[in-house]
Order: sequence, then C-alpha cells, then structure tokens
Amino acid sequence: MGPTILIVDDHPSFRASARVVLESDGFSVVGEAADGASALEECCRLRPQVVLLDVQLPDIDGFDVCERITSHLEHPTVIMTSSRDPADFGPLVTSSGACGFVPKAELSGERVQELLSP
Amino acid sequence: MSGLRRALGLVAIEGVVVGLVALAIVLSSDHIDARAFQAILGLFIGWSWIGAGLIAWWRRPDNRFGVLMTAVGFAFFLSSLAAADAAWLFTIGVLLSAVYFAVFVHMLVAYPDGRIGSDRLRNVVIAGYVIAVLGPLPSLLFATPERLDCDNCPQSVLFIEDNGTLYTIFDVLTSLIAVVLVGYVVFVTLARFRDAPQARRRAMAPVIWSGAGLLVVLAGALLTEAVDGPEAISDATDLLGLFLFALVPYGFVFGVLRSRVLQAGAVTEFLHRIGDGPDPSDLRDLLSTALGDRSLQVVYWLDRPRKWVDAAGHPAVLPGDDDPARAVTRVEREGRAVGALIHDRSLCEDPELVGSVAAAAGLSIENERLQAQLRARVEELRASRARIVAAGTAERRRLERNLHDGAQQRLVALSLTLRVAQSRLRKDPDGAEAMIAGAQEELTLALEELRELARGIHPAVLSDRGLEPALAALAGRSPVPVAVEETPTERLPPAVEAAAYFVVAEALTNVVKYAGASQARISISRTNGHAVVEVADDGVGGADPTRGSGLRGLADRVSALDGTLELRSPQGAGTVLRASIPV
Repeated sequence: MGPTILIVDDHPSFRASARVVLESDGFSVVGEAADGASALEECCRLRPQVVLLDVQLPDIDGFDVCERITSHLEHPTVIMTSSRDPADFGPLVTSSGACGFVPKAELSGERVQELLSP
Repeated sequence: MSGLRRALGLVAIEGVVVGLVALAIVLSSDHIDARAFQAILGLFIGWSWIGAGLIAWWRRPDNRFGVLMTAVGFAFFLSSLAAADAAWLFTIGVLLSAVYFAVFVHMLVAYPDGRIGSDRLRNVVIAGYVIAVLGPLPSLLFATPERLDCDNCPQSVLFIEDNGTLYTIFDVLTSLIAVVLVGYVVFVTLARFRDAPQARRRAMAPVIWSGAGLLVVLAGALLTEAVDGPEAISDATDLLGLFLFALVPYGFVFGVLRSRVLQAGAVTEFLHRIGDGPDPSDLRDLLSTALGDRSLQVVYWLDRPRKWVDAAGHPAVLPGDDDPARAVTRVEREGRAVGALIHDRSLCEDPELVGSVAAAAGLSIENERLQAQLRARVEELRASRARIVAAGTAERRRLERNLHDGAQQRLVALSLTLRVAQSRLRKDPDGAEAMIAGAQEELTLALEELRELARGIHPAVLSDRGLEPALAALAGRSPVPVAVEETPTERLPPAVEAAAYFVVAEALTNVVKYAGASQARISISRTNGHAVVEVADDGVGGADPTRGSGLRGLADRVSALDGTLELRSPQGAGTVLRASIPV
C-alpha cells in the first residue's frame, strides 16, 4: 500500500481525475475536500501522509491553508498544485511550508513520489 | 394694493385721534408733574412709533414687524390712561401701563422678519405680556396713593388693603422675573444680529442697538426699583429709557435709508465692475459684496444633462422652499434659466435688491455657465474614463476566472484522463477506450465553453458579417421571442457596430431577467447622422436605470463615442432602451 493522500480542490472533475491517476500509481486516496476549511478538518480527522492542495480555493487561500497545516508539530507533507504556471506564484510555494509544486496537467504518482523523496 | 393703502390710512387716522385723546388726558391730569412736557413728549413718542410702524407695514405687508411696531405706538398711548383722574380709568391705565413694553419685546424678538423663531421665544413673549400686566398689580392691590408717593392719584378700584410687606414682596418678585426675561431677550437679539449676513446687519444695527440699549436700561431701572435704590438713579434711568424708546423708530427708518443708500452704492459698484467683464472667478465675490452675503453661492443650470452645477462643474443641490437658512433667487435670460444665487434667507426681505443684482449679473452668469458646462463635461468624462478603466479591469478578471474555472479545468482533467488511458491501453483496452470516450465528451464541453467566452469578448460574426446576422444570432439564442425589425443595409464603423451589438445584448439580457415580457423587438436605423439603436419589450416596465452596473457600463461605452443612452420604462407599460450614436 502506497502513501495515504488527501486531495483538496474545488473542481470535482479535477478531484475525480486526480484520484484515478494517483490510485493507479499506487497511492491510497483517503479523502477529498472542496475548500480550505474542510481541508483543515479532514487533515485532522484522516491524518493523511500527503496533502495535494490546490492554490485557489473558494474560501481560504491555498497558501494560507498550507501554512496552517504545516504549523503543527506533526504534519503531513503538503504538495501544492494549480492549473497556473508555478512561476506565477513567485516564492510563495516555498515560504508557505509546502514540499513542492506539481502543475495539474502534469500530475502523476511518479511526480508526487519524486517530491516526497528526500 | 389700494386696499392696503386705505387700511393703512385708516390706521394713521386712528393713531392721530388716539394720540390727541392721550394728549387731552395728560393735560387735564391732577397728578402728573410737568404736564405739558409729558403730554408733548408722549405724543411725539407714540406718533413716532405709529408712523415708523406704518412705513414698515407699507414696505413689507407680509412681514408682521410693521404691525407690531404700530401696535407699540398704540399701546404706548394706552398707558396715558394712568394720567386719568377717574379711578377706574386710572386703574386700567396703570394695569396696562407696561403692555407697550411687552409689545416692544415681542417686536424685538420677531425682528427683522416678523416671525418668532422657536417655541421657547414664543414662551418668552407670552411671559412678557403676563409680567407686563402682573407687574403693576401689587401697587393697585396693596398700596395707597401715599405709599406710591402720589398724593393726588386716585385710589385704585382694585385696592384691597394697605399692606407694605405684600406690596414689596410682589413688586420685587415681578421686577426680578422681568429682569431675567429682559436679559434673555437682549442675549437672543444680539446673537441674532451677530449671525445675520452683513447686508442685513447694516439695516438692523440701529434698531438692535437702540432696542438692546433700552432693554439694558430697563433692567437697570427694575433692579434699582427692586432694591429700593436712590431716587436720582431711578429718575435718570427713566429719562434715559424714554429717550432710547423714542429713538428706536427713528433707528428703524435710519436703518432702512442707510441700507438703501449702501445697497444702491453696492449695486452701482457691482454694475460698474461687471461692465469690465470680470474674471469668472471674481463673479461670486462681486455678487457676494453687492449683496453683503459672504455665504453666497452661484450655481449654473445645464440643459444636457439637466442639472445644477457649481463653477467647478460639480453637481449642486438647491435648498428647498422650507429651508430655514438658505434661499434661492433664479437668474434667467430671455426666459431661459441660466443660473441661480443661493443666499441667506434673510435677503428675501430685500427682493428688489437681489432681483436687480441678479438681473445685472445675467450676462456674466450666462458666460460663466458655458465655462461650468465645459468643466462639468470634463468632470463627467473623467469619471466615465475611470469607470471604463475599472470596467476593463473587472472584465479581464472575469475572463481569467471563466477561463481558469471552465475550459482550463476541463483540459487539465482531459490531460490526466488521457495519461491514465495511455498507461492502461495494453493491459486494460476496454477501460482505456471508455476513458477516451469520456475525454471526448470533456473536450466537446471545453470547446463549447471557449466559444461562449469568445463570443462574449467579441462576436466573430459581427466583425466578419456585420450587425444583421449578429443580431439575428442574438435574437435566436434569446428565450423570449425577439423580432429584428430594422438593421442598416451598409456596414457601420467597427466601434459603432460593437457598441450597438452590446446595447442590444445587454438589453435582451435584462428583458429575460427582469421584464417578464412575452416578446421584444430590435431596430437599428440611421437617422440624422446617428445610428439609433432601440430595444423595446412589452414587459412590466418600471426599470431602474441605476440598478446594476450593466446599464452604467453601456452608457459609458456609448458616451465614449459621443452618443447618448435613454431608458423609458413606465410602470406596467414595457421598457424601451434607446441609444443614439453619431456615425
């Protein structure tokens, strides 16, 4: 069984596709969340090893959600994702405490795994 | 007017008769010292008041100040009854001997506009009348003529007993109340004088200063009497009081004449300087000086759009008829409104002055109005330019959002699905095929969204084929039946076509959203060098042009092409949106 992962994105079509991609690459998708508030709740409840977190959420900005998740002593690894280019976000990805960024169109288990390996 | 003249003539005759009767009473009195002097002085004072009062009444029949002034004169003659030898006449005379003073206080409180400003002042006036009658009462009830140092005076018919204590207590009490009232009236009168505009102050000064001076002297006399001060002081204050009392009506006449002379000078000076063609910025200052009102504002009337603006072109609001402080004098040229003067309401007391200055300023105001119109236009352009920029930014944000949430998300999902399908192609061909079919559907939806978005930015059919097919397509997509009645046969400039198209698109959106209409019609015609776009529906009407930003944005878009947008939407009778754009 691969690492457990929580998918956070407000677009259902992306969540569905990401689940298929990640599961077929050996990840165990333990939950999905459509906004920042429920992402924080699901994180506490499901304790996933990885959170795939969209930057643009309807309620709280993705980077803020990331900061809140990673402010806990024992926290999951957060990987940011977006359909925008990572260059659009400047230094925000690293300063938010995320482990890395995967463009949505390039999402695969392999890319996530690469970011997880030290 | 002749009715007023006759009425005033009658009052004047009554004044003469009443004065002569008072003269006879004083001359025949047994208990008055220096009868001839007192009789002549009394006649002079009474007639002065009645005469000045009639002048004021004649000048301003609507202002009760003249009536009150005349009443002071009559009430003064009434006090002469105290000189009568018959006991009952003497009693009435003494009882009413201070009423003229209450009328005087009433007049001063109501000066200069003849109105009592507040309920508190009304109560002060009523208290004045009450205290004027109550004041002499102790001397009539509890004092013999000897106690009053008037051995020859008749005994009051109201006399109860000779009681020095009661007499003194009541006398001191009423005197003190009178002193407080008088002090308050002096305060109110001076405050009103201080707040009046300069031109009014010029006219008011003589009355205010002699009136307030008289009240101060009266308060001094009452206090001296209350504390039983030396007789010399009492006599001196009485004489000074009488002198000031005689002065007030002449102060009034002097004030009117002086303000007339000064105003005539100010108007002449104004005419002279306005003849030099003043700098527009000086116009307000010249008017303000001529009318003696520093708070004066000049506003200008614009025909398109119909509104009042100040010299800088900013919208101005005229005070209402019920505004207690400000009033408006409109300025017209050849029967057309060109501007208005907003001034202190007290200037309404001099309508001839304001009217003549306003008439003299007509041409300058007309010239300045053109400047104001230009500034208003610049102001409007600046605002509409800012709105266009803001609308552009908002539109770009909306497009980015729509692209991101719509087509982009579908393409991302598509990419992921295809990748998974590719990886399963060999070991699970059926699954991969189903995934590719799903991807096909996703792609169709993404294309549809992109098309819709592109049409919103600028419909390709409009640039390629012109208004007719573009409007037909709009009409075809509308859920409410739309008839395209007229479109230009030739192509219009692209900016005009685009504006016309978006006017129709926005209007049809509103028809669907709000109008509750069963049908609508579109027409675009060329009239007098303008493209006239009209969208009409048979819906509920009552559309509010300020609702939402859609119409505002359209108005800006049309106005950027020097066009105009009109909305007619009577309740229950459909809506017509009409844009007229120069071609």
